[in-house]
Amino acid sequence: MKLRVLTTTLALLSAGLAHGVLAAGIADNIAAVGPFIRLVPPGASATAAYLVLKNNGDRDARLVRASTPAARVAELHEHVDEHGVMKMRKVDAIEIKAHGNTVLQPGGLHLMLIDPAPMQEGDKVAITLGFDDGSSKQIDVPVLRPAPASMSMPAGPAAAPMDHPAHQH
Amino acid sequence: MPGRWLLLVLFVALAVLLAGVALRPQTEPVPPPTGGDFVLQSADGPVDTRTLRGKVVLITFGYTYCPDICPTTLATLAEAVKQLSPAEARHLAVLFVSVDPERDTPPRLKDYAAFFHPAIVGVTGSRAQVDEAARRYGVSYARHDVGGGNYLVDHSAWTYLVAADGRLVDRIAYGTPAEQITAAVRKQLHQTTSKGTP
Repeated sequence: MKLRVLTTTLALLSAGLAHGVLAAGIADNIAAVGPFIRLVPPGASATAAYLVLKNNGDRDARLVRASTPAARVAELHEHVDEHGVMKMRKVDAIEIKAHGNTVLQPGGLHLMLIDPAPMQEGDKVAITLGFDDGSSKQIDVPVLRPAPASMSMPAGPAAAPMDHPAHQH
Repeated sequence: MPGRWLLLVLFVALAVLLAGVALRPQTEPVPPPTGGDFVLQSADGPVDTRTLRGKVVLITFGYTYCPDICPTTLATLAEAVKQLSPAEARHLAVLFVSVDPERDTPPRLKDYAAFFHPAIVGVTGSRAQVDEAARRYGVSYARHDVGGGNYLVDHSAWTYLVAADGRLVDRIAYGTPAEQITAAVRKQLHQTTSKGTP
């Protein structure tokens, strides 16, 4: 009987520890600021999601995958400008330095959503971000119409709500 | 002594030569585009740029599978059109040329372009026709396979400004704000007016 209590206690304790380890994962140190998905134009079979990843942790973080029920595939992409030719390429990871920001914005790093589900302007889409330690976090991302290049942010969206943190789960 | 000078001169000459080789751009220099006319297909029939004389024309190249660059460019061109007065906008044509005719049919291009602004006309053609238009405007593009039968198209992300007489007058970089494009279009429209042509 005593042994059983002990085992139960140990089991509970290890579960608690495991939970503690998960809670201290990289995902908990990352804030997703101002995320948005571009409304898919009719006829298009891909769109992109953008956000600022803010790392409040003491160690560098790497975003290694993204997934969403709103697209068949989500990939991490970058754009390389070679003499005016824009080359979009898949990347394995997007690094966020300790206490740093990594900006995913039009013309640069982005999450490419391939074969997206039908969506409307103003919809909220769940995206799960996975980090290199296996931790992940889900964010709710609003769908916005593609914005023109603007004076303040030449290659970026005019109306990206940069000052409103995403709703975090 | 003269021998030492000769050696020095030779050494300097060699250094200059090597620096010249090292500083040369890695890619072949692209000759400046000349612009010019082309005929491509829209969902509403052929578009022959010769019929657009008297209008200022903005031309950009892309494809609908492009999730990042093309929507920014088209949203920016749409914004530039909106900033013009209706009278000014009547003397502007905007063409979106798809370099991906295998996937982008004219009806698909029409829906896609109209989503940004009804004034933007989506056009494409046979591979040879698209190549010819791209060559005239110095547009390079290349298919990049990504597996699963899918592919991306690397393409020049410029927008070309063509005057009312058909001359290519400006090449506008990706990310240029709409206000600057509007100003460039207005300048051409006013030159057209001052010359007395429509």
